[in-house]
Amino acid sequence: MKESPEKSVLYNIALLGNPNSGKSSLFNLLTGLRQKTGNFPGVTVDKKIGALQLDAGKQALLIDFPGAYSLYPNAQDERIVVQTLLDIHSKNYPDVAIYVADTTKLEKHLLLFSQLKDLGLPLLLALNMADVVAEEGIEINTAQLERQLGAPVVLISGRSAEGLETLRTKLSELLTQPNPFPGTKPFHTLQSVELKVAGVVKSVLTGVNDYQALLVAHHYQWLPFLTDHQRFVVGNAVVESGFQSLQLQVQETMRRYDHFTPIVRNNLRAPETKTDGLTANLDRVLTNRFVGPIIFLSVMLLVFWSIFNWAETPMGWIESGIGALSEALKSALPAGWLTDLLTDGILAGLAGIVVFVPQIAILFLLISILEEVGYMARAAFLFDRLMQFFGLNGRSVVALISGGACAIPAIMSTRTIGNWKERLITIMVTPFISCSARLPVYIVLVGFVVADPGAQALAFMGLYLLGIVGALVAAFVFKLVLKTGESSFLMLELPPYRLPVLRNVGFTVWEKVKTFLLEAGKVILILSIILWALASYSFPGKMKAAEMQARAEAVSSAADSLVTEDLVAERQLEASFAGQLGKVIEPVFRPLGFDWKMSLGILSSFAAREVFVGTMSIIYGLKSKSEADAEAEDYPYLRERLQAETRNGEMVYNRATSASLLIFYVFAMMCMSTLAVVKRETKSWKWPIIQFAFMTGTAYLASLVVYQVLQ
Amino acid sequence: MTAVFLSDKRLVNLPAGEKGIIKAFCDDSAGSKLVSVGILPGSFVELVRKAPLGGGWYVKVDGQTFALRQAEATCIVIE
Repeated sequence: MKESPEKSVLYNIALLGNPNSGKSSLFNLLTGLRQKTGNFPGVTVDKKIGALQLDAGKQALLIDFPGAYSLYPNAQDERIVVQTLLDIHSKNYPDVAIYVADTTKLEKHLLLFSQLKDLGLPLLLALNMADVVAEEGIEINTAQLERQLGAPVVLISGRSAEGLETLRTKLSELLTQPNPFPGTKPFHTLQSVELKVAGVVKSVLTGVNDYQALLVAHHYQWLPFLTDHQRFVVGNAVVESGFQSLQLQVQETMRRYDHFTPIVRNNLRAPETKTDGLTANLDRVLTNRFVGPIIFLSVMLLVFWSIFNWAETPMGWIESGIGALSEALKSALPAGWLTDLLTDGILAGLAGIVVFVPQIAILFLLISILEEVGYMARAAFLFDRLMQFFGLNGRSVVALISGGACAIPAIMSTRTIGNWKERLITIMVTPFISCSARLPVYIVLVGFVVADPGAQALAFMGLYLLGIVGALVAAFVFKLVLKTGESSFLMLELPPYRLPVLRNVGFTVWEKVKTFLLEAGKVILILSIILWALASYSFPGKMKAAEMQARAEAVSSAADSLVTEDLVAERQLEASFAGQLGKVIEPVFRPLGFDWKMSLGILSSFAAREVFVGTMSIIYGLKSKSEADAEAEDYPYLRERLQAETRNGEMVYNRATSASLLIFYVFAMMCMSTLAVVKRETKSWKWPIIQFAFMTGTAYLASLVVYQVLQ
Repeated sequence: MTAVFLSDKRLVNLPAGEKGIIKAFCDDSAGSKLVSVGILPGSFVELVRKAPLGGGWYVKVDGQTFALRQAEATCIVIE
């Protein structure tokens, strides 16, 4: 607890519970839009924090922890809970915790509660699903339950928002009286070997109680806050006293169930007839081994069809809106480098990010509805075997699908995969899935490879399939190369189907879009400023000379003013640092059929792939026209201009070059933001570097083959 | 933990739709994960159906449904 400047007390309140307990619903209800994302100290896992108003003078921060089953973690998500709650000297240590449990599954949902209770954390038990409880006629003896569990109990509903006032009141009471039921027995009494090792832990770690000490003994190998000395001493004690961690974990867990199961049975009476008929009936079809996969693929096709259909219009608005803003700024501000930086650098970079928001929002709207309903867990079940063959996990399906919009949020969704190798492979191959940034490039180039509209649609599908195949093959290779002793498991709860809570869906979409804008936005913005500078400046005098020459040429060919400006822009770009850079790297890409202009386009794609289209527009002197044409999404002017481009009387964008360029964009790792997120998630530069090397290497080889064969 | 023998009946041997009671797990590593999600010795268990491609199992334990891999279902000893 901290004294805030306004003299009111600021409390830290943790929100804990099992996955599928309705924890996030409660968090959204309690904090509304006053939530933000931060990092847990020392780890890079996002945590959600929201302001919570209690009684007068009591301000609280509500911290949403990842869903966990136990303090013996199976996945990265759960480890966060353990390491935060064992670090008792941290200033972020919660004052109290709200524990959310699904009332209809209380017998299974109290394991973590009992562990937290033994940590000495003041707990408030929020029994969720009050609406279902009433519907099914479940009777609860709250007063007795409180006494026997040693914690205040409140019945709430994350769906209908009932019970929130009582929850706030009881929370305030708990803050003033952290131990309302003194004398409650601990759920677990330490056995002799446990006591012995816990004693050693206490001798090197001050202020911990028995159970905290025991957990440190179980997890000493990875707990980040231990000093080398502490780790050494505890490690010795564990080995010397024959402390069998896994066996003791199972025994402890079983004793806990034995302790609280009778309490639940005595205080919770459910009528005999439990009707879970709907879920069972739906699953008979949806998880059927033959029909299930077909339904899943149809659902996915529908999802992607919706993305491309619904996003088109808002994307047009954004493009023309930013175009208009850029024009307005240009005419309102005095001409000069600052205005150019603002419009051609920063605003153009922003446009490249914001234009993908509709697609990402729609994809995550649909995915989070499918998750809320409970369907995504079924998809993981259906495809786990197939995914395992490629070294992935059933849970990877969600990441791979999200990768169709943007790899950044997709990679962040892999944290639920418990096995490090499976999670790493998922992270490494997700960027192969064609994201929405590749789409504009495909649109411009696919017409040069095949002419017939029907064949173009097939080619589009082929490019997407190629990305999927690339991901799976790469995953298979990683599976063979990477070694791990860690066991891999699925063990996935399949929650009953429920109607989605739209509030939760809304918050998820908002959060994903925000993450994309912030994570990708930072990098893209910086890179677009650098690119702008490279494209606008050159060695002293060169730019001016290029302009003079272009104007002279324009006069001699009697070009109108628009064409003159385009010609000037084209020649200046050629003379700029960027143009010279393009010529320097041209030899590298020559075997793939790319000239310096395409090489520069590829280089500029590192800010974001779709920048390619913008760069090509500038290179080919189509700035004025393509801006006027921003609303039409098939870039007819650029395509026309590319078609007219010839070298020694031959078309530059012939079938071989265009196909080679397309293949390059399918496979190459050309997104700085994704690399940054991969670094964040894997905590080392090693993996993003490997990812960049093998993806770009694959792209180079594949393009080389395509170009040399087609040429 | 109860001793486990090769001859013991495993969850995967149960015909789909039939119920059994969990007796033990083959090892502590899988056991510790199973008990934490609420799959316990003494629980009623039913194999509901198989996933495509000889993959996992759709399993019902005390009224809750789970997806388990073949190896996980093999590790559950039933009586």
